[in-house]
Amino acid sequence: MAEPLHSSQPKIFPVKPKQKPKPRTQNQTPESKYWSSFKNTQIQNLISVPSLTFSPSSPHPFAAAHSATVSIYKPQNDPLDSPTTTITSFKDVVSSLSFRSDGRLLAAGDLSGLVQVFDVGGGSAAARSALRRLRSHVRPVRFVHYPKLQRLRVISAGDDALVKVWDVAAGDSPVMELRGHRDYVRCGDSSPVDADTFITGSYDHTVKLWDVRVGDSKPAIEVNHGNPVEDVVFLPAGGMVATAGGNSVKFWDLISGGKLVCSMEGHNKTVTSLCIGRIGSGSDEELNQFRVLSVGLDGYMKVFDYSSMKVTHSMRFPAPLLSVAYSPDCKTRVIGTSNGIIYVGKRKIKEEEIEGRVSEKSLFWRIRPLEHTQKKVFRPSHFRYFQRGQGEKPSEGDYLIMRPKKEKLGEHDKLLKNFRHGEALVSVLEGKNPGNVLAVMEELVSRKKLMVCVSNLDAEKLELLLVFLRKYCTVPRYSGLLMGLARKVLKMRVDEIRGSEALKAHIQNLKRSIEEEIKIQQSLQEIQGIISPLLKIAGRR
Amino acid sequence: MIRGGQNYVSSPPAFSNDGNRVLVCTGNTVSIFSSSTGLQVSSLEGHTAPVTSVFVVPATDILCYCWTSSFDGTVRYWDFSVPEMVKKLDLGMPIFSMVIPSFLGSSEENNAKTANVFAYVSVHDGKAWQIRKCSLTNYQNVGKLVLKETERLEPLIISPSGKFFGIKDKRKLHIWKLPRVESDLAVAKKITLHHTKTITVLAFHPTERTVAAGDVTGRILIWRGFGTQKFLDHSGSNNRISMNDGEDKNGVRQNDDAESCSAWHWHSAGVCLLSFSPDGAYLYSGGKEGVLVLWQLDSGKKKFLPRIGSPLLYFIESPDPSLSLISCADNQIHMLKTPSMEIIKSISGIKPPLSYQEICESFSGKAAFDCTSGLVAVQTENYGIQFYSLFANRGVYEVQVCERNHQPVDEVTVAVTLVELSVDGSIMGTVEIKLPEEGVGGLVSLKFWDLDSDTKRFSVSTVIYEPHRDAHISAIAFHPTRRMAVSSSYGGDFKIWVCKEGDIQQKGQALQNSGWMCHAVGSYKNKAMRAATFSADGSVLAVAADTVITLWDPDKNVLMAVVGETPTPIVSLAFAGKSEYLLSVSHGLKPQLSVWSMSKLTMAWSYRLQIEAVSSAIDSSYFAILALLPGSNERAFKGNGIILLFNATDPIPVASMSVTKAKGGGLAFLKGDLSERAVIDGKTSQTLLVYINGDREYVIFDPYDKEGHKLSIIRQDVALEETGQFGYSSIYGELPKFDLQKDKAASVMSTASERPWETIFTGSTHMLPPLTKLCSVFLESLLEKRAALAE
Repeated sequence: MAEPLHSSQPKIFPVKPKQKPKPRTQNQTPESKYWSSFKNTQIQNLISVPSLTFSPSSPHPFAAAHSATVSIYKPQNDPLDSPTTTITSFKDVVSSLSFRSDGRLLAAGDLSGLVQVFDVGGGSAAARSALRRLRSHVRPVRFVHYPKLQRLRVISAGDDALVKVWDVAAGDSPVMELRGHRDYVRCGDSSPVDADTFITGSYDHTVKLWDVRVGDSKPAIEVNHGNPVEDVVFLPAGGMVATAGGNSVKFWDLISGGKLVCSMEGHNKTVTSLCIGRIGSGSDEELNQFRVLSVGLDGYMKVFDYSSMKVTHSMRFPAPLLSVAYSPDCKTRVIGTSNGIIYVGKRKIKEEEIEGRVSEKSLFWRIRPLEHTQKKVFRPSHFRYFQRGQGEKPSEGDYLIMRPKKEKLGEHDKLLKNFRHGEALVSVLEGKNPGNVLAVMEELVSRKKLMVCVSNLDAEKLELLLVFLRKYCTVPRYSGLLMGLARKVLKMRVDEIRGSEALKAHIQNLKRSIEEEIKIQQSLQEIQGIISPLLKIAGRR
Repeated sequence: MIRGGQNYVSSPPAFSNDGNRVLVCTGNTVSIFSSSTGLQVSSLEGHTAPVTSVFVVPATDILCYCWTSSFDGTVRYWDFSVPEMVKKLDLGMPIFSMVIPSFLGSSEENNAKTANVFAYVSVHDGKAWQIRKCSLTNYQNVGKLVLKETERLEPLIISPSGKFFGIKDKRKLHIWKLPRVESDLAVAKKITLHHTKTITVLAFHPTERTVAAGDVTGRILIWRGFGTQKFLDHSGSNNRISMNDGEDKNGVRQNDDAESCSAWHWHSAGVCLLSFSPDGAYLYSGGKEGVLVLWQLDSGKKKFLPRIGSPLLYFIESPDPSLSLISCADNQIHMLKTPSMEIIKSISGIKPPLSYQEICESFSGKAAFDCTSGLVAVQTENYGIQFYSLFANRGVYEVQVCERNHQPVDEVTVAVTLVELSVDGSIMGTVEIKLPEEGVGGLVSLKFWDLDSDTKRFSVSTVIYEPHRDAHISAIAFHPTRRMAVSSSYGGDFKIWVCKEGDIQQKGQALQNSGWMCHAVGSYKNKAMRAATFSADGSVLAVAADTVITLWDPDKNVLMAVVGETPTPIVSLAFAGKSEYLLSVSHGLKPQLSVWSMSKLTMAWSYRLQIEAVSSAIDSSYFAILALLPGSNERAFKGNGIILLFNATDPIPVASMSVTKAKGGGLAFLKGDLSERAVIDGKTSQTLLVYINGDREYVIFDPYDKEGHKLSIIRQDVALEETGQFGYSSIYGELPKFDLQKDKAASVMSTASERPWETIFTGSTHMLPPLTKLCSVFLESLLEKRAALAE
């Protein structure tokens, strides 16, 4: 064949912004998509939030400790600002919280050394006063925990380096007192598979596994994290624990006697809290994938996949983070910060899940009279007769002849096509996309019409242009054209600018932003001056 | 030797009588294309200078004769179906244009005149162009009679009826009426029509005495009833009347001999093309802006075929009313489906060199060669790259580099300045620039293209905006084996680019992720870098920094050595094949070709020559240069350029060839495995050199072959032609066979019958006999019946 037809056929090239370089790695893996699908809302005006915990029972409200108050929020409520329950019967700052496995009782420890147990199942009135006040710690309590498989006991530990096990029903004195830590005990967790074992982590760099059946104060296993341990958490299978301390999160295999499996060094500052996250919807356990969420003082939340030993997602918050919790139904993720904001991330339930439910329900309504499925045959007397078959869907083997696709043209493209250059420039300036503005400007340059357009703008539109110039003049991607244009605009329209106060103000802003940019450039050059000799030396070796 | 890349649009093409062939003047030959496939079928070879006109003798479908005229002073008569020359007339003067009125007109006249055929020719007698008459049957020379002398070449235009012919001469039209009986001495009558602007083109109406002319400002003038006074042999009375009421002749200038003159204006620039449709109801016009306009003659209503993309030159109607040709200035001949005004096929010649060469210093009109597949990539006016097959001598396809519509009348603000292909032809690099407006908004962008292995077409892989900031790119070179490229800039740095493959194994998405990245940046004393090249094994990168050559390790980006100095900046570098020699070319006041030894890092030898192009054979140490010769030497060699073939070790050329139009030319060695396509006298040739001249005509030859054997192409792709329907049948389909026998039988049946009263009135009314006749028959039949009853 000779030439194909379209080579010389009319073709329209719409004005497009310049392409940006694509990132080499995909920034949106399905996993990071999942983690960023949590839409953040904030609960503000609190004082730093050291502890957050979710109730294990549906609908999974969460409790937040802030100052000498514990607030319980229901994530389902839409404006989250007001808590459903507020407990204020504390004398000092609340440090740690834990729900009982049925979600009806909440244990809280404060810095006065008191551990209190509240009834949160019966509404706000019942929770005002504590069911039990467990006083034995002489120093601040830092860790209170209801074991996951035990309803009767509470574990607590604190700055007196003692770990105490309480029988809540029996009351005042601890059942057991475990000595062994040589520094503040800050954290702990109970095994998800065994009611009698739990671990604690302390500032003496060690994490100890305790068995309550063994009475003496000797831990079953002891591992050394190498840094003061800030948080420790059992992984769901129960055989491994993750410990946070310093800038690292370490994973230990308890079954093999406390062997280090891996270490995640992603944080730049101290990791303050850990929790177990889960990807997956609902009940199907095999599809569930567990992750460790860690937050640190550097403001990052990182999601670590401990099976592949990779950080799969990382997210930044504008404050040091102190606590993190993840709801058992995978719908909510809360993060507490040191400046009193709780970031609540809520995920919408997938439509598939809803659909799945609906389809199950609709099974009941499947019985339908058969007559209705038959097609009605229209007579020529009926107007629908003349429209029959118009809505017919193509069947599998049909060859479809598509209507030639009409190219969609933007407003500016249409104007450019009609040679209305000035209007095209204005229309695109009124739009939001700076890339488009640049593309139109470039097109005008190649038509040699930009200067005419600029000189013909009236005062109002000139203001629009100046605003744009001020905003984007110093953006490196655009500055090549815009700097030159700004100079031309000033030269051409100097009289109008002098005459109008508003325009003058814009010019001053423009000047300021350029000065700022010059400062940045200078400091960058200084840095370059420092670095280049180093590079030279490095290159010589 | 294979020649190709001829200009297809130097003079109007012609259709054969059956409409299946198109005869195109291509340099010294006439190429015959098939109108159904658009491929070349054969060619008429014999003229020794460019052919200027081709005229197909109108006859029945089977006869394929044509007359051609040429600058070599001969008129030849061909049978182009065979194809061979039948006879040859030598007029002794270069012929620019020839019309043969005798064959046109009605057929009876034709038969009477076949005895004596006259042609009107425009010839050059050494001083001026003259229009003369010559007899084509009597083997005479040109008649002595000079009808008109013009200073410039003016093509003769003949009316389709064969009664008039005319030329334009500046602001005038000269029209001659042919004498009724042709003889050597019969003088044609002449009238002159005047206009205020320079006329560019004229056309005659097929039946009426109407002539249309286009001028440089884009107006179309239509004179109706020209020559009423002089051409019509009426008595003087008619003459007097028209003289008296001169105001009736609306629009006719001075005392021109026409009834009326009207002007149409749509074209913004000069009109280049005018043609009446065969029925005389429409007028086609076209101009520089590349829009074909169809005017309805009576009403002046217009229809358009826009964006053909290049100035239009000629419009030729075929005998098949649904097909016509437009010749465009970009060396394309488009076949147009007339009723729907759409282009169905193109005969694609190599696109002409760009007119805007001096747009900026970085502009290079050099063609890039794909040595393995025998393609040449050339920049086109419409911001694209045309890939032209050197062996098949036709355009393969085009890619659009800048996404812009090309308007031939627009000022040039965007240009593709550079195109480069990798050795294996799988990667292309292009550089395009946008010129700034008053110093604002200039842009240089570098694009890398990948060859799609299925479609064999290039598609954009990576776009890099402003690769060297504001500085223009002077050269691109590709690594011979890896996906690596280098671009050097006038701004004093070069960048090495590498293509990182995405993980192809993963998914389709990952493929898109592969792209070119900057791997390293280098500069040498901030000197402008004008050339770069990789050595044959890719281990050394040579970059010319002003007058010195810097050698780099492309992987580690380490400067390895600096070689020598030339008096003027180096503009081109090339390694001589696999040898250790590097060639450098510098232009300027002291042009020089230098050969550097890489082992000693010194100059081996050099020549003071103005070098236009250098090419080295890939697998040997031979290289060829194209040198421009200074004016004084022009007598010694015939052309203005010379191709010299060297072995890199030896400063004495192995072979030399003299060529013309060397300015802007190019050279390339083609790889040996192409030899299956090209055969020299039976034995295959390993190395072929292609030379493309400034007008993008090319020749492929074996540089080592001393005797200059003829290199012939084995044409594999002469496509089988479809026997297309044509004329009436193409529109309405085949008529059913007209069967006489059947018809008779039917008529018999309607008259004779046993019971005539039943059939007597059947049939359509106009078939029935008059009532008076029917009546008697009818009555008779009744009578018979009665008689039967009586019995």
